Amino acid sequence: MLSVLITGLAIGALYSAAALAYNVMYSTSKVLSITTGHIFMVSSVAGAFLIGDLGLPKVVGLLGAIVIAIIFGLLTELIAIRRILARSEDHLWLLSTLALATIVQQSIGLWWGTEPRAFPRLIPQDFTAGIWDQKYWLVIGTVALVALGLDLFYRHTLFGKVFLAVAEDPFAAKARGIATDRIRAFSYGIAGFLGGLVGFAAGQLTFAYFALGLTLTLFGFIALAAGGLGSNLGAIVGGLTLGLLSTFATYFFGGEYQQTIAVGLLMLFLLIKPEGLFGNKQVRHV
Amino acid sequence: MSGLSKSSLKMPVMAVLLVSLPFWVGNTYQLHIATLIGSYWVLICALNLAVGYTGILSIGHVALLSIGAYCYAILSGTYDLSPWFAAACSGLLGGLCGLLLGLPSLRLPGFYFAMATIAFSMMAMEFSLAQDDLTGGGAGLSVPPFPPPFDSPEGLYWLVLGFAAVVSFLSWNLVRFMWGRAMIAVRDSHVAASSVGVPIFRLKLSVFTFSGVAAGVAGALFASLQSYITPETFVFELGLFFFVCIVIGGRGSIWGPFLGTIILAALPELSGSLAHWGQFFYGVLLLLVVLLIPEGVGSAFVLLKEKLRPRKREKQVVNPDLQRLRAAIALQPSDDELAIPGQSGSSTLKPFKQRG
Repeated sequence: MLSVLITGLAIGALYSAAALAYNVMYSTSKVLSITTGHIFMVSSVAGAFLIGDLGLPKVVGLLGAIVIAIIFGLLTELIAIRRILARSEDHLWLLSTLALATIVQQSIGLWWGTEPRAFPRLIPQDFTAGIWDQKYWLVIGTVALVALGLDLFYRHTLFGKVFLAVAEDPFAAKARGIATDRIRAFSYGIAGFLGGLVGFAAGQLTFAYFALGLTLTLFGFIALAAGGLGSNLGAIVGGLTLGLLSTFATYFFGGEYQQTIAVGLLMLFLLIKPEGLFGNKQVRHV
Repeated sequence: MSGLSKSSLKMPVMAVLLVSLPFWVGNTYQLHIATLIGSYWVLICALNLAVGYTGILSIGHVALLSIGAYCYAILSGTYDLSPWFAAACSGLLGGLCGLLLGLPSLRLPGFYFAMATIAFSMMAMEFSLAQDDLTGGGAGLSVPPFPPPFDSPEGLYWLVLGFAAVVSFLSWNLVRFMWGRAMIAVRDSHVAASSVGVPIFRLKLSVFTFSGVAAGVAGALFASLQSYITPETFVFELGLFFFVCIVIGGRGSIWGPFLGTIILAALPELSGSLAHWGQFFYGVLLLLVVLLIPEGVGSAFVLLKEKLRPRKREKQVVNPDLQRLRAAIALQPSDDELAIPGQSGSSTLKPFKQRG
């Protein structure tokens, strides 16, 4: 029972991280990118490749995975977001990020193989550690650190406040001399960093698997929608709830209906409280 | 747009070509591909009403296809009912599932809806794997053919062609008249559409349910063509393929997605390396189209034609009747309160004078 709880917390932390990455990108660009989950996937595959296949030291593997994830984040902004936003057409970004996500997922699938592959152990530890196994606590710890760091960054640094300003009102921010385009690109880099770090830490839990991206994109979004779009607290609460719920549902009813339960939660939430637990109502003036 | 004489010539030629396809096609495999494209088209044509006309971004339509396919396979195979009855049930069940999916999720904004359809396709996959006494689980289910004369490859082709023609005709009829206008209005602006009295939610729900019915029927045809189905047949990427066909072909037309379907489905068959790169290739194509020609490949031809043979733009110069305008202004009572309109009137006259 305790192991179910820990598994749920770890998976929930991963979903929370995906939801946080959504939030970071959404706040500056008002785009929900389908590539969100793929950042984590790219990082875990890169980590497994650098450490497992090339035999590089773990620190190099971590740095490499993060750098690759950041580059992926920046490329997403450059390729799929910038031109679309400049044209300001509705929902075209959905198609462009979907296309990019497909390209990345398929090329990783072709190069890395479509079977999940093991991620190397990061800390020397016996495999009989049970609930104290690093594959759970690395994720939970990293996500907690990342969430804390993100909060400190937004609240207590000038650069973070610039982000908040752009998120609040891009036009006003631009009028005050903030380069909103560059801030937007930076936010994709930050999402890449976040995804890279957490994706690497979660590698042992998720395995290095090419189809991880779409799952995380979907479940991170469900966590975000339940918690409230734009709210980091909501992202964490929603992610943990979703993770715990789906693990316990698996424990009690078997693993066949995991997705169904998660989607049921999403639908219920969106019907009762469309803005989510901690979100703001988005009222549009006509 | 094109002249009546041109299109009235195009349609019969096309029809003759399509009907006689089994006689001039090279081998049975190519006929199989043609039938496959036809059964895809039954789905895509109706999905085009949702994606291309109404702007409902349904990515996971493959779920409805799989529901139709399994319904047909179970009813006609396991329970040994008439295939026609089973196919009708597939359509009904597809429509019902579309309705049930649409009821909560069509109220959501675009991205939320797209995510809900992705989730729905994963759910359908999960169910077909989990309910193994009904669907055969991962091992799959064999599907009986339609009764003669539709059990031969040619017969099945003509059957699929018939269904495709019916669905195309239905959606062509829809888009030409009030419904089509309403759908385009909803796609382009919710606010404008509802302000002229378009029932947005009901319209979306009807269109989506119709696409569900077509997807169910397409599933029955598809299953009978494949003659053996497993959950792996209905992967999420197939749903993406349908979506890409429509977006690449161009939103808001029937010909564009039709050509898109034929080209995208036939290309991987032409060369082995393309089949290997299949989904990657679709992704690249989608990205290029979205970035360069978001109106679809069809609009590229129009643009090219404009470039090569530019239309003469008629100059439309508005010549104001200054005499009458002055007279009208002079008629205005020039009280102190009304001095401002008079002033602004005289100031707006200046640009006219400069132009004239």
